[in-house]
Amino acid sequence: MASIHTLHILNKSPDHPRFQRCLTALGPEDALMLIENGVLATTTAGRLATVSGQIYALSPDLEARGLQVDDSTFVPVDYEGMVRLTTEAGQVISW
Amino acid sequence: MSTLVVIDSAPYGDWTGREALDMAFSLAAFDQPVTLLFLGAGVNWLRKGQAPEGISQKSVEKNLSAAPIFGVEGLLADGRDCEAYGLAEADLIAGVTRVDVGSDLLHQYTHTVFAG
Amino acid sequence: MTDQTLPERNNEGFLEDAYTWTPDVAIALAREDGLELSDNHWEIIEFLRDFYTEHEVSPPSNRLFVKAVKESMGEEKGNSIYLMQLFPGTPAKTACRIAGLPRPTNCL
Repeated sequence: MASIHTLHILNKSPDHPRFQRCLTALGPEDALMLIENGVLATTTAGRLATVSGQIYALSPDLEARGLQVDDSTFVPVDYEGMVRLTTEAGQVISW
Repeated sequence: MSTLVVIDSAPYGDWTGREALDMAFSLAAFDQPVTLLFLGAGVNWLRKGQAPEGISQKSVEKNLSAAPIFGVEGLLADGRDCEAYGLAEADLIAGVTRVDVGSDLLHQYTHTVFAG
Repeated sequence: MTDQTLPERNNEGFLEDAYTWTPDVAIALAREDGLELSDNHWEIIEFLRDFYTEHEVSPPSNRLFVKAVKESMGEEKGNSIYLMQLFPGTPAKTACRIAGLPRPTNCL
């Protein structure tokens, strides 16, 4: 796995002002980790179109909300996977 | 007197929607006409197939299914917000009416109260 | 069933986990309230167990408990006098405790 410059952990829904702020701050070598309400972004077509890095989504939060991601845009990860990502990133921002 | 309780926050992320649901149930307990409206990220309350065991919460989908038993008159959802969150008719739980939320709708109720 | 063998409970005697409930637990909990469970009690207990499986919530108040019973079984059983005779005190609280459900949120 390529190393991540900054992992952005986003728990806000696409309707929340901080959601857009997070997207604006994403750099080309950054990754986005959607958790809690943030996973709702997997349903809002196009809202993440500008993100060039990898996008992860926390599986228990997807399942809780009745969401399935078969799209290759989103990589589902479990809690352990998320912890692993935080150790691989040089920097972590929790939005 | 009729009340419209509006939930515009996504499920599971915080408690505001559950508190509003509790308020709606309490109004219904005293036979006060009450309707629930889901707006914005709130429409995600209405998606079928929620399984929140992994985050140790109770299913808001199952909680909501008690609404008609307790006497809540209707479940309304903003049609455009449903579309924004990829919710087609078939993805919605039973008994939801999709509406166009404008001042017409809000004027039909004596009281309108937002969650949170 | 003794206090030692009963599943974990909170300070008001409600089970911590509704899924640790068995009919034997109900018999033991009812005895604490001085109740001998009849078929009429079991009918309501089974109703509440089904209700919880389907909705993952206890009827939040006494009024909504009565309303839910009425919706399911009609006026004859869904009225507060009948339910109070079966489950003295606050019927929703007493019945939910015996049925192993969480404490109704809006009962004092």
